[in-house]
Amino acid sequence: MAPAVPKPVSAPPSAERARGEGVIPVLVVVAGLLVAMQIASFYLPPFVMPAPVTIFWATVEILKNEYMHIGVTALRLLVAVLFAMAFGVFLGIVMGIFPKIRPYIRALVIIDTGIPALSWMLLAIFWFGEPEVRIFFILAVILVPFYALSIFDGIRALPRDWVDMIESFRPQRWQVLRYLILPHIIPYVLTTTKSVIGYAVRMAIFSELIASAIGIGSRMSLAQSMFRIDSVLGWTVILVVLNLALQAALTALEKYLLKWRAEANVR
Amino acid sequence: MNSQVEKVISLEDVSKSFGNLVVANKLNLHVNRGEIVALLGQTGAGKSTVMNMIMGTLEPTTGRVRVAGHDPHSEFDKLRGKLSVSFQTDRLLPWRTAVENTELGLLILGVSHSEARERARTWLKRVRLDGAENKYPHELSGGMRQRVSLARALCVDPELILLDESFSQLDHVTSKTLREDFAQVARQYSKTCLFVTHRIEDALEMSDRVIVLRPGAGIALEQTIDAELRADPVRLQQLHNDIADRMSVGAATEH
Repeated sequence: MAPAVPKPVSAPPSAERARGEGVIPVLVVVAGLLVAMQIASFYLPPFVMPAPVTIFWATVEILKNEYMHIGVTALRLLVAVLFAMAFGVFLGIVMGIFPKIRPYIRALVIIDTGIPALSWMLLAIFWFGEPEVRIFFILAVILVPFYALSIFDGIRALPRDWVDMIESFRPQRWQVLRYLILPHIIPYVLTTTKSVIGYAVRMAIFSELIASAIGIGSRMSLAQSMFRIDSVLGWTVILVVLNLALQAALTALEKYLLKWRAEANVR
Repeated sequence: MNSQVEKVISLEDVSKSFGNLVVANKLNLHVNRGEIVALLGQTGAGKSTVMNMIMGTLEPTTGRVRVAGHDPHSEFDKLRGKLSVSFQTDRLLPWRTAVENTELGLLILGVSHSEARERARTWLKRVRLDGAENKYPHELSGGMRQRVSLARALCVDPELILLDESFSQLDHVTSKTLREDFAQVARQYSKTCLFVTHRIEDALEMSDRVIVLRPGAGIALEQTIDAELRADPVRLQQLHNDIADRMSVGAATEH
């Protein structure tokens, strides 16, 4: 008789409750902020704190007339993050599997992490005339070390048992990469992306602020110079929503790509 | 028939030391084609060292190791597809389903994806896991995972299968069922197996021959288990006791 197939691991009963616990506090905090802003708007001049409804209409105006800038920023972000991911993963793998050149790449990456983002921004303005190149360069040099170090850690954490198992079939080097290393580092790539995406959005905005005439950062700078605080706050709302949407998209991607992973339910 | 061809594994005067520690001393051992041989010994007897030298991951200090006519260390790649291993733990890759884990060795050997999948499904059926092909390892019980591991080892149709304490982490009932299933499949397909264990019962049940290792001193006992011996519970018990004595002498010497 065939052995009984155990029932698939079902979602823990607390999962729905956890979702509820996540949404309700966010709604409470948003409502609290709106009330605080409304109260502040009664006592402060409109160029310091406009009423939430004014910010709402400024946001609607931005979405109607300036959506192109959101697209430009999102595209810049996408290209830079994908490049940083690919190059960082490459560096991490090289560090992980070539011990002789590991110390040199590691030293380079560590030095990079020590250079402030502002230095890279100013250097980019000196070095590159093209705004797109400046922004791409700034985001890439800031994000690559996160991926490289995380992937290197991932490869170091590769269980020896799995390496011995796959080696017992006498694979070629690329096959070890294809069947063992690359699938193993996917969770590390996703976790790093989730960790850096908010930071990447902020850096993209800063870069646009000083290095470009289009994109959310430059529009925020323009709104500030015209004393349109409602627009500044409108852009801020859009950025928060953009960040939440990116996080949600990454979580969905993680759920799909890591469907093989059993979820631990800690009491 | 040429006796050299018959010997799938051959160790001639093999010694292995790690610094001053002698793990194997002038060891002579062979496994014939189609034979299931159990290598017994207490912890520290050198079972894993012998296994690693056969796998080619360790080089002997002196002596000669041959597997399917090749030096497994210096001719590592020449044993591609000729040897596979089932380990103490299942070592399934968690992102691959049961069938994807089973086909892994075939994909490494360059078999087409469709053929590899078909052969993997066939082997999963043979180890009685049809219906669980698309389950991930965390959805399978310990016994089922070990079955997948055995299917993965058998699927590449190797000349030689090495089993490194493959059943020792399972409960008694599961281990017994799995051992019987494996022995049946191995005999049906005339597989040569070297089976490393510290459990005497496992060795007596499964193997055609038992070899007991003593730490640093080579072979303490070697005994063929034919049908006549297997059918005689008194002689079998005597052999069991004898093996236990030899193993405990080894353990005492070790300490």
